[in-house]
Amino acid sequence: MAKRSTSASPKNQRVHVISRKDGWAVKKEGNTKASKLFGQKEAAVEGARKLSKGHDVIVHKKDGSIQRWERSPKDS
Amino acid sequence: MGEVSQGLMNSSYPDFSRNVFINCPFDPEYVPLLRPLLFTVLFLNHNPRIALERFDSGEARINKICELIKCSRYSIHDISRIRSKKRGEYYRLNMPLELGIDIGCRLGNEGILQSKTCLILEKEKYRYQKALSDLSNSDIKSHNDDPETIVFQVRNWFTELGLTNAPSATRIWERFNEFMADFRETRERDGFKDRDLEFMPVPEYINFIREWIAGNPSHTI
Repeated sequence: MAKRSTSASPKNQRVHVISRKDGWAVKKEGNTKASKLFGQKEAAVEGARKLSKGHDVIVHKKDGSIQRWERSPKDS
Repeated sequence: MGEVSQGLMNSSYPDFSRNVFINCPFDPEYVPLLRPLLFTVLFLNHNPRIALERFDSGEARINKICELIKCSRYSIHDISRIRSKKRGEYYRLNMPLELGIDIGCRLGNEGILQSKTCLILEKEKYRYQKALSDLSNSDIKSHNDDPETIVFQVRNWFTELGLTNAPSATRIWERFNEFMADFRETRERDGFKDRDLEFMPVPEYINFIREWIAGNPSHTI
């Protein structure tokens, strides 16, 4: 079977909002550590938008699935 | 990677030392836990073996389960759904049955099967003792129905068994979230809709995780 690419790009610019036991983490893909932790999800989403500088922001549910994908206007 | 099971490669099952039998519910409510559970096992370079990995209406399910148990050094039994939720609902006996077969396989055999090791997961730490008091002296771990906690418990169990160089549970959880984004994006590009993704067959999901890990090797072991 031909190997299929399972990676979308540009991944290294995407910013994720990820559930944590003690709140919500904002993490840029490719970084080893989260940039910042927030107590409230909406505050984390705002923080992610600032960090993304216009690139994709991916907001996850508590189970890791995707709640909302804010596409970068640069990609459209 | 650090070897949990050096010297155990002579089994009649060549992947015995990396196989992990997964005994859990297969209903939609459990999917939020099953996904990170499978991801963590694969991320830690082991093979999840699960009754749903192949579908053959002509194969007796119990025979398949016994075969999966025998070919797996490790087992993860999630008994968090054995309790009925409402009046008149049956409680679930499949998980305790398969746990019993697994323990019997270890105790009733000689040689390599005596090296079998299992992790029992429950929602709350001591709740199981009311229904399975024979396990009262066993160590179990609780996940509180929380997907991040199941990653934490499974990862720590592997390291307690001797796995070295495992990334932190936080790192695995973050990678799982990144995987879910790629999973969604790639599959949507291939024409998959929400319903297709929600009810994707387990073997297809496992293969996708494998391909993703191979294509994104950073921090895997």
